[in-house]
Amino acid sequence: MPNKLIQLRDAVSKYTRDGMVYCSGGGLPVGSDSLVFGKEMLRQGRKNIHYLTHCSSQQVNLFCAAGVCDKVEAAFSGLEVYGFANGIRHAVESGRVIWEDYSNLSMSLRFLGGALRWPFVPATVNIGSDMQYRSAFKPDEYPCKSKIPEITDPFTGKVYGALPVARPELVVIHVTMADVEGNAIFLGTEWSRFELARAADQVILQADFIVDTDCMRQYPNLVRIPDLLVEAVIPWQLGAWPQCSVGVYDSDEEHMAGMNKMLGTAEGTAEFRKKYIDSWQTHEEFLAVIGSAKIDKIMKNATTHLMDPYRKWIKSDQEIAALMTQSKFA
Amino acid sequence: MEFTRQEMMAIATGREIRDGDLCIFGVGLSMLAGYFALAYHAKNAKAMTEGGVYGSSPVGGLPWGIEDNRISANATCFTGALDALGFLVASGKCDLGIIGAAQIDKYGNVNTTGFWEEPEGPHFGAPKTRLNGSGGANDIACGAKRVVVMLAHEKKRFAEKVDYLTTPGYLDGGNAREKYHYIGGGPVSVITTLGILRPDPVTKELMIDSYYPFSSIEEMKANTAWDLKVSQRVTVTPEPTAEELEVLHAVDVTNVLKRK
Repeated sequence: MPNKLIQLRDAVSKYTRDGMVYCSGGGLPVGSDSLVFGKEMLRQGRKNIHYLTHCSSQQVNLFCAAGVCDKVEAAFSGLEVYGFANGIRHAVESGRVIWEDYSNLSMSLRFLGGALRWPFVPATVNIGSDMQYRSAFKPDEYPCKSKIPEITDPFTGKVYGALPVARPELVVIHVTMADVEGNAIFLGTEWSRFELARAADQVILQADFIVDTDCMRQYPNLVRIPDLLVEAVIPWQLGAWPQCSVGVYDSDEEHMAGMNKMLGTAEGTAEFRKKYIDSWQTHEEFLAVIGSAKIDKIMKNATTHLMDPYRKWIKSDQEIAALMTQSKFA
Repeated sequence: MEFTRQEMMAIATGREIRDGDLCIFGVGLSMLAGYFALAYHAKNAKAMTEGGVYGSSPVGGLPWGIEDNRISANATCFTGALDALGFLVASGKCDLGIIGAAQIDKYGNVNTTGFWEEPEGPHFGAPKTRLNGSGGANDIACGAKRVVVMLAHEKKRFAEKVDYLTTPGYLDGGNAREKYHYIGGGPVSVITTLGILRPDPVTKELMIDSYYPFSSIEEMKANTAWDLKVSQRVTVTPEPTAEELEVLHAVDVTNVLKRK
């Protein structure tokens, strides 16, 4: 298998385009999501993105606030205890973003069905609710019969629903660690990262750590995304910031709240972009924007023991730089 | 005994959990209520999150999210949403789910999706206020054996008809759930800031089952948009005991209750 390390900006320019069906993983409001990839997409001016995700995250919040996406299919649009996602709220209320609602299980099933290339997935949830009868994509069809259409169980004659399967063109998944070939281990809930990696046409990983392939050989049961599925690997420690990466860093409470506040207005969103996206190009500059005191604080958390078994295989920045020159993309 | 409305609500919710239950909670007050019960009277109950974090309890404070470090520090299993909401909830294995609500109707149907200017006609326009959507609440309400709903008791939230039916309670009442063959049983209680409602066994209409020591039947009815019925067995909810409050405060490390 080739070395698939790629620079962040090269990955975005090579694999993303305006209007594409894009998906991020885990798609978690506070936890692992490919935040830094989304920021680079904004920087490169991507627009009209059709976003499929499990839940909102600060990435979805940013995309809605900054006009990167105009359609979203998801189960949740908030930031859990951090509250409503202001960027999403205003975009949906003003009609700038059309938000199609599903539930967390139905999004998981849609990705599973997409991964298996099923024509549809039988639904025992969402049926009988307005998620079945109302469609934001088909606002004049009421009660909607084409979003989660009724189907009859051929064995019992009982009526259920049919969920449309989901097949993103690209999914960018945040993982705790990956090797240069794209084998990945993640700590914390998988959410739907297993199914997502199989549902999408192309898969890119954003990894906090690059580890030696010997790590994967030691724990092959834990490799939930194998290299066979992966196009490219972006090494980017703290790539989920300000969200958390279990085992590595906590969510940045101050920035989570401050970012959400800024995304509540056009001026705040422009200021956010200036301060937190246009202000860095390299990984070093990115870390400087977060600040060393903040990094120390979020790295000291109750989950760091989860990384202990893997530490001996972690590649240093110098080793990653050397590996980058040997990549198929170099 | 001195206690706040939030403490009464959290403890009343916690009392719905039975020892040995497999439970699923959301974040915030429902998680506090859940872990209070696990620490107090339901020590053999098990908690899971819809993201597939099992066997854990919060470390260093109540979690910011169901996937964050505070709920992941001492887990015995990390799996995914398909496992938690599918294999364990949609299968009917989960005993009890606690969900929040922005709006509820007389049959326990819940809206967490949005509020519209006027009742939505055939055209489905942008909401006046966008809320958070279902998350896993719809899945929990379809699959869990028992569902407990928590919300503030205010007239605009206790509506004749919800603006958007995100999560099914008893739909149009009676045996309406049968049409959809949901494996779960529906809401067994609605714990509000004023008291506890439970469904009539036949009509499934929510009725006042008990009111808190600081509340009254009149206050509950005045804060409900439909003509709220009263159970023949209505009582005053037993106030929190000193032991219950002590355990609740120990679970609430980060003082969520004080922040409210």
